[in-house]
Amino acid sequence: MSHSTVPRSRAGARAGRKAPDGSPPEGAGGRRAAGSTGRGAGRPALRLRFRRDRALILMTLPAIALLLVFTYIPVLGNVVAFQDYDPYLSDNGFVAMFESPWVGLENFRRIFEDSAFWHAVQNTFVLFLLQLVLYFPVPVALALLINSVVRPRVRAVAQAVMYLPHFFSWVLVVTVFQQIFGGAGIIAQTLRRHGHQGIDLMTDPGIFKFLVTAEGVWKDAGWGIIVFLAALSAVPPDLYEAAAMDGAGRWRRMWHITLPALRPVIALLLVLRVGDALTVGFEQLLLQRDSVGPGAAEVLDTYVWWNGIRNQDFGYAAAAGLIKGVVGLGLVLTANKVAHLMGEQGVYEK
Amino acid sequence: MTAVTPGTRARSGRWAAPPRPPWEEKPSRAGLAGKGLTLALAALAILFPLWIVVVTSLQSKRTIDAAGGLVVVPRGFTLIAYEELLTGGQVQRAALVSVGVTLTGTLFSMAVSVLCAYGLSRTGSLGHRWFLMLLLATMFFGAGLIPTYLLVQALGLTDSYLALILPSAVSVFNILVLRAFFMGISPELIDSARIDGAGDWRILWRIVLPLSRAVLAVISLFYAVGYWSAWFNASIYLTDQDMMPLQNVMIQLVQKQERPVGLATQINTGQLSPLAVQMAVMVMALLPVAVLSPFVQRHFKKGMLTGAVKG
Amino acid sequence: MTPNSAPSAPSRRSFLASTAVAAAAVAGGTPLLTACGGGQDGNKDGTTSGKDAQKILPAFVASSVVTPDLPSKNGSAAGFTRAIDLKALKTSVPKKLGGGSDLKIMSPFWGSPPAGDNAYYTAMNEAIGVKATWQNQDGNTYDEKLGAILASSDIPDVVVVPGWNLNGKIPSAINAKFADLGPYLSGDKVKAYPNLAAVPTDAWQRSIFGGRLRAIPMPASYVTNIAPFYRKDVFAKKGYTLPKSPDEFLAWAKEATDAKAKVWACDDLKWTAFNIYGVLNGSDKALWWDLRDGKLVNRIETDEYLEALEWTRKLYAAGVVHPDAKAVKGDASNRFTAGQSLVFNGDLSYWYGSTAEQRTQKTDFEMGAFDIFGPDGGDPTLWATQPAGIFTFVSKTASERQIKDFLALADFCAAPYGTKEYMLTVYGVEGTDYTVKNGLPTKTTKGTNEVNGAYDYTGDPAAYLAHPDLPEIARLQVEWQQRMGAFTKKSSFYGLTITEPNRWTNLANDFEQLEDDVVRGRKKIADVQQAVADWKSKGGDDLRAWYKKLLDDNGSAAK
Repeated sequence: MSHSTVPRSRAGARAGRKAPDGSPPEGAGGRRAAGSTGRGAGRPALRLRFRRDRALILMTLPAIALLLVFTYIPVLGNVVAFQDYDPYLSDNGFVAMFESPWVGLENFRRIFEDSAFWHAVQNTFVLFLLQLVLYFPVPVALALLINSVVRPRVRAVAQAVMYLPHFFSWVLVVTVFQQIFGGAGIIAQTLRRHGHQGIDLMTDPGIFKFLVTAEGVWKDAGWGIIVFLAALSAVPPDLYEAAAMDGAGRWRRMWHITLPALRPVIALLLVLRVGDALTVGFEQLLLQRDSVGPGAAEVLDTYVWWNGIRNQDFGYAAAAGLIKGVVGLGLVLTANKVAHLMGEQGVYEK
Repeated sequence: MTAVTPGTRARSGRWAAPPRPPWEEKPSRAGLAGKGLTLALAALAILFPLWIVVVTSLQSKRTIDAAGGLVVVPRGFTLIAYEELLTGGQVQRAALVSVGVTLTGTLFSMAVSVLCAYGLSRTGSLGHRWFLMLLLATMFFGAGLIPTYLLVQALGLTDSYLALILPSAVSVFNILVLRAFFMGISPELIDSARIDGAGDWRILWRIVLPLSRAVLAVISLFYAVGYWSAWFNASIYLTDQDMMPLQNVMIQLVQKQERPVGLATQINTGQLSPLAVQMAVMVMALLPVAVLSPFVQRHFKKGMLTGAVKG
Repeated sequence: MTPNSAPSAPSRRSFLASTAVAAAAVAGGTPLLTACGGGQDGNKDGTTSGKDAQKILPAFVASSVVTPDLPSKNGSAAGFTRAIDLKALKTSVPKKLGGGSDLKIMSPFWGSPPAGDNAYYTAMNEAIGVKATWQNQDGNTYDEKLGAILASSDIPDVVVVPGWNLNGKIPSAINAKFADLGPYLSGDKVKAYPNLAAVPTDAWQRSIFGGRLRAIPMPASYVTNIAPFYRKDVFAKKGYTLPKSPDEFLAWAKEATDAKAKVWACDDLKWTAFNIYGVLNGSDKALWWDLRDGKLVNRIETDEYLEALEWTRKLYAAGVVHPDAKAVKGDASNRFTAGQSLVFNGDLSYWYGSTAEQRTQKTDFEMGAFDIFGPDGGDPTLWATQPAGIFTFVSKTASERQIKDFLALADFCAAPYGTKEYMLTVYGVEGTDYTVKNGLPTKTTKGTNEVNGAYDYTGDPAAYLAHPDLPEIARLQVEWQQRMGAFTKKSSFYGLTITEPNRWTNLANDFEQLEDDVVRGRKKIADVQQAVADWKSKGGDDLRAWYKKLLDDNGSAAK
């Protein structure tokens, strides 16, 4: 039985091995070829394959079961989006799902008529684009910088320090920002002590989205740096050497070798980021909603939370959540398509 | 660390600077200065806030009152906030809960994820594509809070620590990283083991896992950080305040500006500032990850590379 | 307010009581509105008052155990300024009433609850004759939890619900999930529980949910609980005189603000502004309405409302409000005691809480509450708050024994000042939780940790104020209430618990947010006017008609 497994696994494994071997990450695309080779070979009978792979299937099951129970089943609960759901109609909220009146698309109609919803959509997208544009350059630049430092000690320390804020909770980040940039914060008070006007960066709706992005960069740039550094370390040094022999200077080498090497990683992170586009910083924004008002801080997730939890409008909140899910999925598929068109692999195979 | 960039760089002692390759230009002085300055600024931007938090947690009430908030320049040093937090009461209880949940949860998540990742690491195995699709789909849509709550409640998990572990036990991203790493392990090794009659369980345990220490360390850290900093599930699934983990207590203390009642006397007698207590709780919440991550850091490159680059 | 618990906890809860917008109040009134007889439990909207209420309400038998030295006047709480003679404590519960049942109690909690098995809880259980176990929830997020727990099939035996959590579909959940206490309390039946019989009828009236007496109320003074506090010590030192009108206040605030020295004149004063300008009370949606010239008017439609917002906006625009208040971060009372703000408004109980806290370290700390002035500096027009704001319910799945035991617990907790039961409820066990120094009970560390509010809502006597350690504060508080009470009027739906129909419960939810946006300069007064127009067309006018019918059918409870 195993004779059919061996060549196939070898093909798959070999392709996957390329990157750690030191070939450029683009080589990862080889896995696609491996996949098609696998499909091309004639399939053994289902029963045989089951006997051959049952250990593998068994191993997969716990995770799949958890996902089915805790992700897929609750998704079914989204039917309340088409109801005027009142969980208290019955002794059990589940049973109440069968007793609540169906209202068709009424919840969706109400959502689309709510200007606050469109505001939230707009904020979500603006914030997402801003993060997209401003978030990536920082870790990429810092990764390049750290990579160009030769001393391992400096590199290690720099990396460790930059990674630290990743572990801060949002409550802490917001509190610290308030104490530094707030109207009675360290900067404002220092300015005042020297006879200037104080500043308050925390309550200005106009710059709020930049503030949120800055907080995000501060907190998570370290994570990006580590990913990019890993990708950079995979660039074979002989490429640089060859380029240097051909007379390419430092900047040309960066442009023609380093950045292309980062492309697949950037593409991957971009696609993942797009998947998160509609979930931009729920906690971060909820914490700061009162500081600038919902006009600037309301995003789709806080909108859903507000209506579902605070107003107890469960059907409405579920409908908004559904819209979000569908749009999010569409965005990811689009982004992945774009990544493919640009010759990158994206998150999953075509 | 250097295992991924084989060749040219000779390792002479762990921290010594490797010789600059002969083809590389000597950096200009200005360039070096610029680099140093930028790195220093970036480090400062991160260390300064951290400094304020740590320093404030170590100050007396008088210093904090004089500063009118967080303290930048320390005056004196007192561990009173930490002493208070660690001598019984809610915070200590919460810290124990957090440690317990993090350890158990990480072990459980790792077991489930490693198994799943290995199970999916053989392209062409039965159901492989279906399972993979099932996994991937979850990355892009989720269920609402209320259905999830009702489900957890119906399973009888409310007021149980299982509610903090099971619903968030599986991270598809982490499984994909592990899977990619497993797929990169030399097939010759696995083949020869198979010829020796080893089954998949044995291969996983004896060959794959020992070769995957780097990625296991990284993913364990990811899971551990996830469990350690989670608060939302606890806030909705637990009704018993005695069971709350550290992050929830911290949120209560910091965000809601509540005072830990157990400390009311110390605070009221004027020795202890509520702010110092808040900062001390934050330091406590940060400490384990901050201490742990440098040890895992050296695995980052290897673990992340295969994972992140190949998804 | 139970005045003797940990400093910041009781104040916050009642402050929230007045600031949070209670989306809906409840009650069935089925016979009155739909005449479908029998008035079954269920999510009916409307209210119950008049004759129908009379049939349900418990009889009132005043308590004569201890006479307050400052009797209630103009709706104020009663004040006790004498220390309790611990040797002469009275007994209000002569016989242990509990039958030993298990009671699982879910309650909001502000602060850190004690561990479940402590000397205080044990002593309380022992004295009452029950086995109560507590599920204390973070009070700040209680509504999130409450909604989910009521949706499940397994709710605790006893559930405390603050009035400001009666949002969205919670009122219908209350009617569906909680027991009718009428068979145990209506009319003379309440006399089996003398302390409950001494709870004012006004408060009981508020406990009628869905046409049934479902709750034990926590009685409150109807005088506004939002007091504008000022730093009396700083005012004296700087030679400031108290402003007597909104304009004077603004002028003073500009003078007193010294941002360089990290001192701002005030914190957020929106709620005081509403009081100054005579805006209808915002603590309960039914109180938003008042009959004027035969037409019901909502607070958001009034000129006073806009004037109050405009004045608050001016304060912000002038830069006299603490920046953290603008960012809605941190705690106003902390900024006040730290001297970073000189005026803040908060629940009346802060007077005692903050003073007691500061007295332990700075002896010269002194705060006061200034009398609320009118828009032109004359007398203000104040509107009454509801006479009960926190309710305790029993699950309908509870056994008769459990219900009776809960009532025993409530009766015990409702014991008045100066009784043995009061001492145990509020101070705990002598020797363990408190010691007696100079004739004054003083909580030990253990007492501070354990006796900190769990039993605050499950049964309370008529509103009272008592601070044996700072008797002067109790006097000042009561006198402030009495002066303000003289200017207090009751709006059309005062005292009634009203369930709005589901489709309108969320109609006005966004106004509080809008107010905060306007005063901080993020939105304009015109946006409020636009929102009011939208509110009218989206159901506000229908809601007005609905309330009008309610008023015509039931009459007003206000005297």
